[in-house]
Amino acid sequence: MTLDQYLSTGNTLKWLLGAAWLLPLVGFMIEILGGYWGKRIDPASNGRKTRAAGYIAVGCIGTGCILSTIALFTWGNATHWGHPGGDEHSVALASHADAEDAGHADPAAADHEHAADDAAETAHAHDTEADEAAAIATTPVDDLHTIEHGEGHEHHANDPYAAAFYGSFYRLMTFGSLYIDIDYYIDGLTLVMFVMVTFIATCIHVFALGYMSEELTEDYEDHQVHLSGGRHFHRPGRFYQFFAYFSLFSFSMLGLVIAGNIFMVFIFWELVGICSYLLIGFYTERKSASTAANKAFIMNRVGDFGFLIGLMVLWTYFGTFQFANPSPSGGSPGLFQMLRAPDGSIAVDDAADPRDVTLHNVDGTSLVRGENSKTIPYMLLIVAGLGVFAGCIGKSAQFPLQTWLPDAMEGPTPVSALVHSATMVAAGVYLAGRFYPMFVPEVLLTIAYIGCITLFIGATIALVATDIKRVLAYSTISQLGYMMLALGVGGWIAGLFHLITHAFFKSLLFLCSGSVIHGCHHEQEMTKMGGLRTKMPFTAATMLIGCIAISGLAIPGTFIAFSGYHSKDAILATSLAFVSTNSGHILLFVVPLITAGLTAFYMFRLWFMTFAGQPRDQHVHEHAHESPWVMVAPLLVLSVPAMFVAFGGEAGPLASLMLTSEPAHLAAGVDSTAVMDVTHPGHETIHGYHNTAGMLALLAAASGVVLSYFFYGRKVVDPNAIREQVPGVYGFLVEKWQFDRLYEVLWVQPVHMVARGCQWFDKHVLDCFADGMAKVSVRIAGLDRQFDEAFVDGFVNWLARVTHGTGAVLKNVQTGNLRQYVMFIALGLVGLFGLFLALIPK
Amino acid sequence: MNDHAALLSATIFLPTIGAFALLVLDRKAHEAMRMTALGFTIATFACTLGVLQNFSSAATAMQMNVELPWIPNWNIYYRLGVDGISMPLILLTGLVCMLAMMASWSIKEHVRGYLMLFLLLETGMMGVFISLDFFLFYVFWEVMLLPMYFLIGVWGGPRKEYAAIKFFLYTLVGSVLMLIAMLMFYFNSGREFDLIKLSQFAEAGGFSQELQISAFILLFIGFAIKLPAFPFHTWLPDAHVEAPTPISMILAGVLLKMGGYGILRIAMPLCPYGAQFAAWAMVGIGVFSIIYGAFAAMAQTDFKRLVAYSSVSHMGYVLLGIGIWKVDEHTGGGLNSEYWQMGINAAMFQMLAHGVSSAGMFFMVGVLYDRVHHRDVNKFGGLTQIMPLYSGLAAIICCAGLGLPRLSGFSGEVGTVLSAWSFSPTMAIISAAGVILTAGYILWTIQRVLFGPEYKGPHPEALIPMNGRETLVAVILCVFAFVLGVYPYAMLNLMETTTVQLTQSLQNGYEALQGGAAQVGLLLRP
Repeated sequence: MTLDQYLSTGNTLKWLLGAAWLLPLVGFMIEILGGYWGKRIDPASNGRKTRAAGYIAVGCIGTGCILSTIALFTWGNATHWGHPGGDEHSVALASHADAEDAGHADPAAADHEHAADDAAETAHAHDTEADEAAAIATTPVDDLHTIEHGEGHEHHANDPYAAAFYGSFYRLMTFGSLYIDIDYYIDGLTLVMFVMVTFIATCIHVFALGYMSEELTEDYEDHQVHLSGGRHFHRPGRFYQFFAYFSLFSFSMLGLVIAGNIFMVFIFWELVGICSYLLIGFYTERKSASTAANKAFIMNRVGDFGFLIGLMVLWTYFGTFQFANPSPSGGSPGLFQMLRAPDGSIAVDDAADPRDVTLHNVDGTSLVRGENSKTIPYMLLIVAGLGVFAGCIGKSAQFPLQTWLPDAMEGPTPVSALVHSATMVAAGVYLAGRFYPMFVPEVLLTIAYIGCITLFIGATIALVATDIKRVLAYSTISQLGYMMLALGVGGWIAGLFHLITHAFFKSLLFLCSGSVIHGCHHEQEMTKMGGLRTKMPFTAATMLIGCIAISGLAIPGTFIAFSGYHSKDAILATSLAFVSTNSGHILLFVVPLITAGLTAFYMFRLWFMTFAGQPRDQHVHEHAHESPWVMVAPLLVLSVPAMFVAFGGEAGPLASLMLTSEPAHLAAGVDSTAVMDVTHPGHETIHGYHNTAGMLALLAAASGVVLSYFFYGRKVVDPNAIREQVPGVYGFLVEKWQFDRLYEVLWVQPVHMVARGCQWFDKHVLDCFADGMAKVSVRIAGLDRQFDEAFVDGFVNWLARVTHGTGAVLKNVQTGNLRQYVMFIALGLVGLFGLFLALIPK
Repeated sequence: MNDHAALLSATIFLPTIGAFALLVLDRKAHEAMRMTALGFTIATFACTLGVLQNFSSAATAMQMNVELPWIPNWNIYYRLGVDGISMPLILLTGLVCMLAMMASWSIKEHVRGYLMLFLLLETGMMGVFISLDFFLFYVFWEVMLLPMYFLIGVWGGPRKEYAAIKFFLYTLVGSVLMLIAMLMFYFNSGREFDLIKLSQFAEAGGFSQELQISAFILLFIGFAIKLPAFPFHTWLPDAHVEAPTPISMILAGVLLKMGGYGILRIAMPLCPYGAQFAAWAMVGIGVFSIIYGAFAAMAQTDFKRLVAYSSVSHMGYVLLGIGIWKVDEHTGGGLNSEYWQMGINAAMFQMLAHGVSSAGMFFMVGVLYDRVHHRDVNKFGGLTQIMPLYSGLAAIICCAGLGLPRLSGFSGEVGTVLSAWSFSPTMAIISAAGVILTAGYILWTIQRVLFGPEYKGPHPEALIPMNGRETLVAVILCVFAFVLGVYPYAMLNLMETTTVQLTQSLQNGYEALQGGAAQVGLLLRP
């Protein structure tokens, strides 16, 4: 790619994605201000149901979706789908185009079918889809089955900067030669994330138009909030606020994805956090909601504390936050280029004490500042990696900070679908993937174990949860654990692949649960459901698709497999390859394998309990109904990518597209070092384990489904009986492994205690000291007064008295008798003369 | 030259003229007096914008210098000037005073006296930031003290006498220490009060190590009281709680910044060796204040006390950013000076950001207090239903205090913390832990005050929506919070050159003495 091409394409992408990014912000402004003032300027409009805010939000994000799709194709055309240098990969992109077609055109068609029945609500979404389809249709669709599994990717190191674009929007701050920008870094991964986020967000926005319609009233009665008089709580609807927050969230999330430096990621990281806070606490009058919102934000801040430490190390030793500088004209290197030479190796100096890592220029020569080449102690590289990953732990609800996510289900269901399953919580995984070149093996191993623990904890709690949304929440935690595990064992593509597939099927599942909750009039307990498939057939069918996808089911020996199968297969293959060379870490394969079975079990448990069998609560069942089209249509649209987005597995178009961003050192695998005895498998090794892992995974999932069927479908086994046999375990799981209680004792109470201690110290020590000083001063002043009055004044008064007395005595002399005076004068003169005569020296 | 003298003098003395102009009005004409006073604060703010207009961010030296004889026999001159350190603070003073005046409609008693003292106070504050003569600086410092004493003591709450005298005595202790230091410099420099000359003298190594260390400690305690840093902070919660709303705004928005400004303008340039000697102490006190203030804030139930302690926490970042001056132990050369510059810039930015957010928070508390006459955070709730606009704006301002990105509090906080690692990883990590505590106490407060189904305190009928004047104040503060957050470079740009200049001259001053006391004798007495 020439510099001109780089600049012009970069500029186009900047404006396309920049517009897609900023549109929701504009939408937010209009919605929040318009919603607020609209009601006040025109009091007559009270009670009039306007969905304008919703339409604006859908319009903004839908346009964003179109723009990102256009950007994707612009990028593809300019970079030959990520391989600007050679043509050997050009085949991959053709099939890519096809998958995009499958992923987007079909939903459009599905939408089409129902468009007639639908009111104007879906017009925006429909337009979006149609336009997208049109955009896709213009690209050539060539032969799609020409490549073998992974060919062209397994043997060559990838150059992730070849098809990446970097540039700046504006400068945030400079300090000498250091600077921080608001900038962008656009490569295959960015674009996939952009399309995924905007597409899912569009679907969920449309869904929310229906789901939130009960907020379109001036008198909303909240049955969950009881006032002091025993009444229920009444308030005006908050339709416009909801969509405003949604738009703000979309803006923040896209900002996080487009960011070209880790500091900007941090900025938007916090912003998605506050949006999540606002959305979880959407029902501000519910104590549980606002507490959950606080918990979410504060636990994320705990992670961000680590993130901040990571940033400090990076900033101090690298002096930049920029990811990488892919410009053909060279220039100052980004973090990745500084740490890793173009072939992906790290220059560790084992001889130095402490071990040092030499930093590089863009071209791989060592980076010199002043007289010495720039280095960073290896230890701090670990600290930086773990620090940034701590942020990911918070955001992606990994062990030990996972407890906020289930509570976050207090928010309306579309929020759970968008924020707490598909996009924001996946941002942690995205960042771990994006920041992958900075992670050294020690960090990766930590990531793997954190992911492994998380996926197991999440799945076990999901087994016993009865709230339909909480089951999904724990399932999200568990699936995010899978992604982290994959990243940790060297499966960069497997982890991010699962991120994308999971986003589709999990948002689908959440929307389905939203449809169920809506249809059952806000009943969320599965113990009161059952037999709903006849009442809501579309929801049941699409949710079944979601369940199959998340369980990773497929028909062996054929191409029939849903998206979850491909990505989970990739993860298990990677971890099997990993443990085969690092046999000490066998748990990293066994636990996820067992959990694959658990996943299938609890997901089908959910489906059976909700849709199959007989109604458990007649009242709920009688009033249940299928949701309106504006809510069902997004389900149908999303179910298509939930099935087919991963088409072709790791050789498929989506994976190929993402592989163009894969860090250079991964293709060949990473050998163990003297200090760290862990080998990361390369593509070829992983490929060798695909079949074994795939079969084992399938076996586990299938047994999970079968068990679930016996427990909850056929009911040949009574779950209650098992529950009674192991009450300890059951109670432990229902109590969420006691994490909440543990943290309460370990952190919350001590913090409040220290806080009270500080207040006490202020009041009883510092203030006491100050007041004591004042008292002592007053006391001294008192003594001073006594001294003054007794001695100083006493002396003066005595003197006065004496003078006065003397005067009184002398006044007797003052007789006014002239003769007496003359006599005094004469006596005086005589006396004086006598004195003179006596004293004058002779 | 004359233009500059006129402009800077106008910025300082326009409020005083306003104070006397009020005497012309009838004592009953409260509305007219308020409008007049507001007019003068607006005009003063316009003057500060005029100063900004004439200010060049590229110049390294002091700008718009004014030097007129005042008491030439004692070498006391009327010296004024601005640079990158004072410019942003002058703007902040103009802005906060204007907004505080707009918030002063709630003062109903002795209106004329209040307004006159308010305007005199503004003169004192402007004078402190603009004057370049140590004696003049000291005079303005004292000028500011008395009006504040009366404003708290007369118009304050139930314990106003205690709070006012506490404020007065604490500040006076600081002033006395500063006076001693001032005289030390005066007699050791050949009777010089010119701050620029004194700092050049110090840069050349003119003051001995012992003098610098003792003078720095005196000055530092004086300014740390004002900042306020632990353990000199306990006057602040009392003063805030008792002071009327607009005075709290000024106290938090401007007065506290004088501590940071004094350290940057006087304590450090005049005793670079002393500053380096005490760098660890500054950082340590700063970090401790961050954590301590946040913990103490969490335990408060009085809304104003809570905000006051949050100020202690936030101003800790200022000390941290200023203090991270690292030198090579052997050569005395500066290490990572870019990070130190970043720390100072971020510290100054933090002062601005805190000026906006804390003034805003006190204003928001005041709006509630004017209505229901209590400040117990546990007895609010449900305000999102009753006062939606208020809740929205209050939430934005709280988030600015929370350090949310794209709002003012973020850049300063994160900037100081990021730059601190190069000085001491441990200190940096502890200070970073402040972000968790800050989130804790602010969100908990928002939950208790704004959220919930219903208002739990007395006088629920008094909770009427904000009027136009109150809305305007809150909106202006929110706008500034956004501008500072989205485009911090606008302010950082003003400071940059000056900070580079400052760090270099401090480094020179330190190196001049670092070799040992032997050289000092040669350099003394120009």
